[in-house]
Amino acid sequence: MIPDLPEETALPAGALIRPFLQTGAGPADPDHGGPGDDGAPGDGMSLRPFLLTAGRVAGADSIAIETQVVTTDTGRTASGELGFEFRDIVALCGDPLSVAEIAAQLRLHLGVVRVLVGDLSAQGHLSVYLPNADAPTDVDTLLRVIRGLRAIG
Amino acid sequence: MVSAQSVEPRRPRRRPPLPVKIVIAGGFGVGKTTTVASISEISPLTTEADMTTAAAGVDDISKVPGKRTTTVALDFGCITVDESLKLYLFGTPGQDRFGFMWDDLAVGAIGALVIVDSRRLDDCYPAVDYFERLGLPFVVAVNRFHGTVAHDLPSIRWALAVDDDVPLTTFDARDKLSVRDALLVVLDQALARARRAAQARAGT
Repeated sequence: MIPDLPEETALPAGALIRPFLQTGAGPADPDHGGPGDDGAPGDGMSLRPFLLTAGRVAGADSIAIETQVVTTDTGRTASGELGFEFRDIVALCGDPLSVAEIAAQLRLHLGVVRVLVGDLSAQGHLSVYLPNADAPTDVDTLLRVIRGLRAIG
Repeated sequence: MVSAQSVEPRRPRRRPPLPVKIVIAGGFGVGKTTTVASISEISPLTTEADMTTAAAGVDDISKVPGKRTTTVALDFGCITVDESLKLYLFGTPGQDRFGFMWDDLAVGAIGALVIVDSRRLDDCYPAVDYFERLGLPFVVAVNRFHGTVAHDLPSIRWALAVDDDVPLTTFDARDKLSVRDALLVVLDQALARARRAAQARAGT
């Protein structure tokens, strides 16, 4: 019995529905979930993740999920020439957005977004701001977070 | 003053805020998504991510050399602290069968809030173990379902066998200010550790 919101079944209003729920596929399975999935794709997400990234899965691990991404002037100018997912990301990041938010809003796997963001950054279409590794242990930063939370009424 | 490091300085329209994050962990159905929803300024978002799993307690791990990855749903929200600082709250996927390796979430985090349902204490053991091993500041927060807690806090502390320096608190996941206060306990824990580290550096 779960008196609270059942987290994996009932999403709050406004939340995005996970692709595998839309396609009616079963829950995530270690053997049928990640890149290289051999399962039949449903009509919701017809492209398998590895097709979007041209087969690459590695090399983007350094992009943390809270990494901030902003479209550059170059990216805005070139957006008409970009492929669908690239164009979507460039269009979405006019204002800074985290990698996690990009993935959620475009309903793409986090790993896919990391690779695509890495590509767009290499082409100069996006600026990528990696989190500062010292911030979580920086006294001044922590005090700012505390002040910000206390201001929530 | 800490600021974000630019990899590709190409005149962005607006400088992004520095992102920091807190991990919201705990067993299935303890109220992680509710906690994020109560305080996040956006409706909690969901994305799919790969997590490394070690199926301890389910499979004989000696027969499964190495780790496996599995795709899970990841819920998160955010709070704008000030114009140049943004706090993200990432909820760990609630899968009680697996001992997840939440490295993707936990590395670079300020700390973690481990949510506990006092009727199902053992659900939070993997999270407590994980953050202890990682050395990340964490707080155990008992969610007051329907305003009650099944056991008193000393009993819960005894049952969880967490160190005395790990704060144990109760909160209501549905209440914004209660969630805020629980997060502030995590912040206090992280701040105390950061100050000790700064003093240690100054003393040597």
